[in-house]
Amino acid sequence: MSEETRKRLSRRKFVTLTGGAVVASGILAACGDNTATTAPATTAASAATTAAASTTAATSTTAAATSAAAATSAAAATSAAAATTAAAAGTTAAAGTTAVTGTTAAVTTAVAGSTADFKTSKSGYKGNLDYWALGYAPGGGNVFSKSSDSAAAAFMKANPDIKVTITGYTPDNAGFAKVVNAVQSGSGVDAFRIPNDSLPTLIQQGAIAPIDDYLTAEDKTDILPNLFDLVKVNGKLYAWPLWVPPVGMYMNLDIFKEKGVDLPPKTWTYDQFVDIAKKLTFSRGNDKVYGFSALFDPGGVDSWPFILSDGALPLSPDNTKYTWNTADAYSGLKKITDLALVHKVTPPDFGTQKQDDLLTAMKNKLQAMWTRPSGDAGTLTQAGLNIDIWPIPIGKSGKPISAGGVGLIAVTPNKDTAKQKAAMDLARYLTSPQVEKDVPGYYLAPSARKSVTVVSPYNKFTDIAPTAWITPSIPSWTQIRTLIHPNIQNAVFGKMTPEQALSQPADEINKLLAQK
Amino acid sequence: MADTNLTQVNSPAAQRTNPLVLFLRKYGWGYVFVLPSFLAFGIFTFIPVIWAFIISFQDFRPRGGGDWVGLQNYRDAFTTQNGVFLEALKNTIIYAVVTVTANIFIGLFLASLLQPLSNKFQTFFRAAYYLPAVTSAVIIAVTWRWLFNTQWGFLNFLLGLIGAAPVRWLSDPDIALQSIILSTVFTIPAAGVVLFNAAMNSIPKDFYEAADLEGAGPIRKWWSITLPLIKSTTLYVVVLYTIASFEVFEKVYIMVPSGVGNSTQTIVTQIYQTVFSQFRYGVASAQAMVLFVIVVSFAVIQFRFFRSDVEY
Repeated sequence: MSEETRKRLSRRKFVTLTGGAVVASGILAACGDNTATTAPATTAASAATTAAASTTAATSTTAAATSAAAATSAAAATSAAAATTAAAAGTTAAAGTTAVTGTTAAVTTAVAGSTADFKTSKSGYKGNLDYWALGYAPGGGNVFSKSSDSAAAAFMKANPDIKVTITGYTPDNAGFAKVVNAVQSGSGVDAFRIPNDSLPTLIQQGAIAPIDDYLTAEDKTDILPNLFDLVKVNGKLYAWPLWVPPVGMYMNLDIFKEKGVDLPPKTWTYDQFVDIAKKLTFSRGNDKVYGFSALFDPGGVDSWPFILSDGALPLSPDNTKYTWNTADAYSGLKKITDLALVHKVTPPDFGTQKQDDLLTAMKNKLQAMWTRPSGDAGTLTQAGLNIDIWPIPIGKSGKPISAGGVGLIAVTPNKDTAKQKAAMDLARYLTSPQVEKDVPGYYLAPSARKSVTVVSPYNKFTDIAPTAWITPSIPSWTQIRTLIHPNIQNAVFGKMTPEQALSQPADEINKLLAQK
Repeated sequence: MADTNLTQVNSPAAQRTNPLVLFLRKYGWGYVFVLPSFLAFGIFTFIPVIWAFIISFQDFRPRGGGDWVGLQNYRDAFTTQNGVFLEALKNTIIYAVVTVTANIFIGLFLASLLQPLSNKFQTFFRAAYYLPAVTSAVIIAVTWRWLFNTQWGFLNFLLGLIGAAPVRWLSDPDIALQSIILSTVFTIPAAGVVLFNAAMNSIPKDFYEAADLEGAGPIRKWWSITLPLIKSTTLYVVVLYTIASFEVFEKVYIMVPSGVGNSTQTIVTQIYQTVFSQFRYGVASAQAMVLFVIVVSFAVIQFRFFRSDVEY
């Protein structure tokens, strides 16, 4: 064998060995227990998204708290508690009404007996806790950020050995994707805010720690029992319920005044709503003011109350069948599409507007009415806007129906038991009545605890909460909502009839629901 | 010194040494120097691609491994959401064909305009044209979103000046994709201009002088001399832009974050949605593999079409 041939063979052997080692390590890594890596298929997309998401987060002004520290009455507390219970129960006003009497006594007891120490962690943990908060912008970028910073500061003051670092994410599909991705990566998140409909997937993946061992007897009596059903899997509870933010109708009162339109009764109908929206759609100099708009995003249900208003719910009560392929659902969707296509009371970009566009339009008094969960009430009030909150107009069902989810704080599993307990203590504190005492206005929606009373303007949602249909806590919901969303948009654009839009995804959704 | 080395290699002791040792002795430092970039490629590109390929056959869970599901993910990739992936494929191909063609022509045109200028002016314009490439894609997308705003966007303001009705650039499903394409076409193809300009400047002046003597005009010279002699650069730019076009994501994601029905879905936005909204890693990996095959196929076709044996 010549020297040249031997060299060539050696080179080949080296390249083959090196290549083989890399492939083998990749395969081994892929087959092994991956606890710290996300799906590599989407590496490029992920990187791009991170950049995008952080930019959005930086400019976004979302859920916010009010600085008003006025104490609310016991009646309000009762109302809030009752409202939340009914909302968790799930579906209609009828359910809400039933729940009211059941919770009144419990509220009184809880308020009187709420002397527990929520703030001091007995974990013995020394170090950092990473808390991901929805709507948070670093440096007190909005009022919610300030209250989150204050809450974290209060916790750290009571536990000098623990440092809490807060990371924000936006309250939309992109934001939820960001936090879920971080949680799935298994590092950098100890506790995080998450809506109930995103929770089951994470539980399924083993990314959430059960809270049962950390719940006290007082927690069990104070937290509305029906909310536990939304976080329970195989008999274990997986997150600390925080609040129930229902979608309400934001009324831009200065525009009502400008056009001399009286506020309707709170039991207003869809026809009354359309009539008002038409009156409040007009030109003001070079600007056009529109009567109504809403966000359409796969991660939200802002426009859904109209679709629900004729009595059709998306899924059967046991979440095993798609039920929006009915006449009541079609007529409900038609209520939304007519606003754009028939009554012309919506902006030209209706259906594709971003949250920031809508918030800006409200602030600039270019939009009279807006369906939105409670969080933005504080932002608008802080901006000096004269707003009030009304229930969703009544449809064929004959009763007001809203939509919403349950805000939760979940904790990731940690082998360090002290750190795990510290994270649980933080989550417990951030969902406690104590945090509202320390940071008045912390709660942006009716609370999940009977002992918490929320302040204005969020208390305006307490009567709406009992009417809210709550997004289901099932793993397939994240897929189902992305099947429904583009079709609702296409109906709004006039590219699909309401029948086509809501009946087309039925088969695929039913298949998803049939999967175990 | 050279004689000494020769003696060492040819000595009986050296011949008995392991060939791998000999190989490393001769080329080892070279491999040490390329090792960092080789490792980076292996860890961040090669292994993820292999891993994605494996996951595309699994019902993958980030914290719990995955069960093998055969080709089910590939079937699901095309059938899920009423076959939206096919629509995403169609949209991406339209986007790629239009934007790559436009970028190549605009790049060639601008580079040709720069070619006769003095070095000083060429440098200035190259820097100016390269500005979009060093600007964040997110900022460009946000700017375009504002330009396209139906109510207070600049484009509709211009249309208003001539009495035209406002256009719903990003909210009409019939034109939303075209609007995104327009934003790409109107953004100077920075890399194309710079590469074409460099390639044109490297063509020997003798060819143009000979053509002048033959009485060839500027267009004839451009067609018969410039274009053929920058064919290898054209190949590179076409492949570069084709891959970038098939991977279009941030522009769509920023300009229409909630989508416009499915009219603006592209392959990567669909992959993003499948994995980050639906958490279906296996299906998303299958879709990514389909994208990989498409991009490789296009690259191979382009290499065959544009390959050049011309040397100068």
